[in-house]
Amino acid sequence: MSGHDSKYFSTTKKGEIPELKEELNSQYKDKRKDAVKKVIAAMTVGKDVSSLFTDVVNCMQTENLELKKLVYLYLINYAKSQPDLAILAVNTFVKDSQDPNPLIRALAVRTMGCIRVDKITEYLCDPLQRCLKDDDPYVRKTAAICVAKLYDINAELVEDRGFLEALKDLISDNNPMVVANAVAALAEIQETSAKPVFELTSNTLSKLLTALNECTEWGQVFILDALSKYKTTDAREAENIVERVTPRLQHANCAVVLSAVKMILQQMELITSTDVVRNLCKKMAPPLVTLLSAEPEIQYVALRNINLIVQKRPTILAHEIKVFFCKYNDPIYVKMEKLEIMIKLASDRNIDQVLLEFKEYATEVDVDFVRKAVRAIGRCAIKLERAAERCISVLLELIKIKVNYVVQEAIIVIKDIFRRYPNTYESIIATLCESLDTLDEPEAKASMIWIIGEYAERIDNADELLESFLESFPEEPAQVQLQLLTATVKLFLKKPTEGPQQMIQVVLNNATVETDNPDLRDRAYIYWRLLSTDPEAAKDVVLAEKPVISDDSNQLDPSLLDELLANIATLSSVYHKPPEAFVTRVKTAQRSEEDEYADGSEVEDSETPSHAVENSPPPPGKQPGVSPAPPAAPAPEPNLLDFGDDSVDAGPPLPVLLSAATAEGLQISGQLVRRDGQIFYSMLFENNTQIALDGFMIQFNKNTFGLAAGGPLQVPQLQPGTSANALLPMVLFQNVSPNPPSSVLQVAVKNNQQRVWYFNDQIPFLIFFGEDGRMERGVFLETWKSLPDSNEVSKEFPGMVINSLQVILDRLAASNMFFIAKRKNANQDVLYLSAKIPRGIPFLIEVTAVIGVPGVKCAIKTPSPEMAPLFFHSIEALLKS
Amino acid sequence: MGIVFTRLFSSLFGNKEARILVLGLDNAGKTTILYRLQMGEVVSTIPTIGFNVETVQYNNIKFQVWDLGGQTSIRPYWRCYFPNTQAIIYVVDSSDTDRLMVAKEEFHAILEEDELKGAVVLIFANKQDLPGALDDAAVTESLELHKIKNRQWAIFKTSAIKGEGLFEGLDWLSNTLKAGGG
Repeated sequence: MSGHDSKYFSTTKKGEIPELKEELNSQYKDKRKDAVKKVIAAMTVGKDVSSLFTDVVNCMQTENLELKKLVYLYLINYAKSQPDLAILAVNTFVKDSQDPNPLIRALAVRTMGCIRVDKITEYLCDPLQRCLKDDDPYVRKTAAICVAKLYDINAELVEDRGFLEALKDLISDNNPMVVANAVAALAEIQETSAKPVFELTSNTLSKLLTALNECTEWGQVFILDALSKYKTTDAREAENIVERVTPRLQHANCAVVLSAVKMILQQMELITSTDVVRNLCKKMAPPLVTLLSAEPEIQYVALRNINLIVQKRPTILAHEIKVFFCKYNDPIYVKMEKLEIMIKLASDRNIDQVLLEFKEYATEVDVDFVRKAVRAIGRCAIKLERAAERCISVLLELIKIKVNYVVQEAIIVIKDIFRRYPNTYESIIATLCESLDTLDEPEAKASMIWIIGEYAERIDNADELLESFLESFPEEPAQVQLQLLTATVKLFLKKPTEGPQQMIQVVLNNATVETDNPDLRDRAYIYWRLLSTDPEAAKDVVLAEKPVISDDSNQLDPSLLDELLANIATLSSVYHKPPEAFVTRVKTAQRSEEDEYADGSEVEDSETPSHAVENSPPPPGKQPGVSPAPPAAPAPEPNLLDFGDDSVDAGPPLPVLLSAATAEGLQISGQLVRRDGQIFYSMLFENNTQIALDGFMIQFNKNTFGLAAGGPLQVPQLQPGTSANALLPMVLFQNVSPNPPSSVLQVAVKNNQQRVWYFNDQIPFLIFFGEDGRMERGVFLETWKSLPDSNEVSKEFPGMVINSLQVILDRLAASNMFFIAKRKNANQDVLYLSAKIPRGIPFLIEVTAVIGVPGVKCAIKTPSPEMAPLFFHSIEALLKS
Repeated sequence: MGIVFTRLFSSLFGNKEARILVLGLDNAGKTTILYRLQMGEVVSTIPTIGFNVETVQYNNIKFQVWDLGGQTSIRPYWRCYFPNTQAIIYVVDSSDTDRLMVAKEEFHAILEEDELKGAVVLIFANKQDLPGALDDAAVTESLELHKIKNRQWAIFKTSAIKGEGLFEGLDWLSNTLKAGGG
């Protein structure tokens, strides 16, 4: 290249950024202002203009408020990406916070709080301190919020500089808006601080009550929220506070109304006078009713909150049930919530009206709503004894409509009604039996079968009815199978004739030998054993009197209810979940595990007694010597892939890595797992100490695979005696150890209360096999040939037996080892499989074995033969299990 | 030709601002000088973390004066301000003899900058009111000003607190700039 060619690299055409840069440095103010506007416009549409940082910041010292605001906006956006250069803005902030114009002072302090750059926060303390004592209330109220923002960035700094005291002083400010913002800031800080930052005293209380009447609506919300946390000393004080707050109930802003309701509900706990309480309840009703005339979204929020309120104080809205009647044009989510509240408010006095409504809803078009309406009738029947008969007659009327899903839903609730009122309404069984053929939903089927079994002696053709179900026994869902089993046993015990005897043989056989559902199998074995040992005892057990149920579905646990009521008018009260359940990320990890549990296992819904089809109560402790399996049929090998127990854990318990004995009461279990193509460290923390533990952190030593935490460890504060799951995403190749390959993973865990704990874990090699490990035959052959023989490593497992190729292949495939081909060599089977570890390194696997004869040989060929020992270790464990 | 014409034009209408940087180590008195020039009074200052910019009108010339923070942490960012600069006012604390070496090094580093090739340099030997302050000759010696080539420069004894020497320096600056030195 000759010297002249350099011109091709310096184009005369300038890009947008240099052009803007030039304009920003223009000597003309107007041009600079236009340029800043262009920059902001580019920023808003997502162009990266961070390279103009200094040029924009240089326009910051200007008299022009518009320009200044634009530059501030730019700073908020880009200070994070240019943390070093952000320091250039500090002096201007300091100057602006002393500007004669209060708007600029407030603007400066507000923007400062939004710039989350460590290097400059300390420079911002002096201006903030000044602004907290500013003459202008607008500046003070802005500074108050800024303290909360700063606390989030650097809590220590805020405490050291005495900002918290300054904030507390602001509660006594003469301007109500400043008071409100100080309250808001303190409440926000309190949420993240472990120390008591914000506690109301009777002195500040009166100041807040005064400010309440004068500040803006959102300020009122802040103050009301603070007041609801105030612990009143006696009933008199509570009454006084409530009296001052009651006028807020008339406010047009629904947030104010709900906050006021929350506050009054909290203080009512202390009020002893029934007159006062009754009066307050009366006062709270109209504002709550008014909320239901707002937009559907607000209605929904109101309804979710009302749901909580009526559980605590049903009297408030006892006379207002009509406002919860569904309008035809209500959105479905509003209708569903209204139904829920109608059930809660239904009483002997209004049940006729309510039933009329429910009946009408049951003929609407939305299937979910109809189902819920039918269920609502059943729940009312269970709740109100005197109305049960009316409810049932409505249900029977609905069954006559012969709409499939209505019938099924009705049968489900009637089963509950039978349990609630035994020996009262069995006369309707005949009507129910007419609909037998139309049942296709598991729950309805199971319910019907339960009814047949329970009342077998009153149903003449019970055996025929049950028999009709038996034909399809193996195909039925687990829920139905379990009920069929129990019902057949009941039938046999009630009518020990030839027909039922044959049926029971078939069922027991089906439920033990033919099934791989451990629930079903275990229950079948218990019955079998019972029946073969002592049929009279079996009668006592199976036909024992059942406890009467009550309708407690959709009722919240009292302690949870109280917590939710304390959070009325927040997301928590809409979700009906405590805030910590959805605010931190640990909880999301736990939720995902629950989800898995929900669809991954076939656990019957025995936790909700009123809904569950009754299970014959097993006799705990009655016959301690009985082994679960009858000698006639040996139990098949337990299948570990089925989840048999009711525990919430979605898999086998995690291995304990750090025992409570070593770690002074903290126990850590954990295992590396692969889920959806990603490696996680699934961990369980158990606190057996006497103190709460928090601030958990984790660190991994250098290891062969460079495994390291892909994010912070999310463990909430652990109260004594509690435990928490954590799912820590892992990344690879972060801190790779140069030592020879080893499966040891050294882990260090610490928390704020204890010293650092060290423990070792084994890295299961198979988790590295990716979902992309499948190879074409041709590719496999080529790869095999291309690798030198020195890359082949083999190992014999002399004691190992392979009984079924398919089982082995399935198991290998579950660990992402994909079947390529099979070859017969004399009586030996040779399997070829492929897999891939990260960075696309292939593993070609050859397994040689004779079916049923001990001795398996495994060979692999891979570019990384040094990994072979780790591989063999893992594959041995996998094949043996 | 075009440039000459613009110069003529702007000096006629006086709307052209000369861009001037005030540089120097921390605590040399840059901010005090800036506000002394702009408002004519002594303001209490705190260390400048960043910059100040003010417009100063003197001798029919508008100076856009940029006072940049002198702390070690901020010095690296001086270069962001170099383009289009006509003059540099380099302020030295004449009583801080310990750090004259540092001041010299920073000063010569600035002179090396390509973007400041055409800028004239005015040195203020500040804080003459303090006892033990070196005079202009001694400062010239310490800063090795004689090494400056191809550039117009001048040094003035100043005291920003008393207001001495500042406007003499500005006179020199405006005359030099008008004469086309910038």
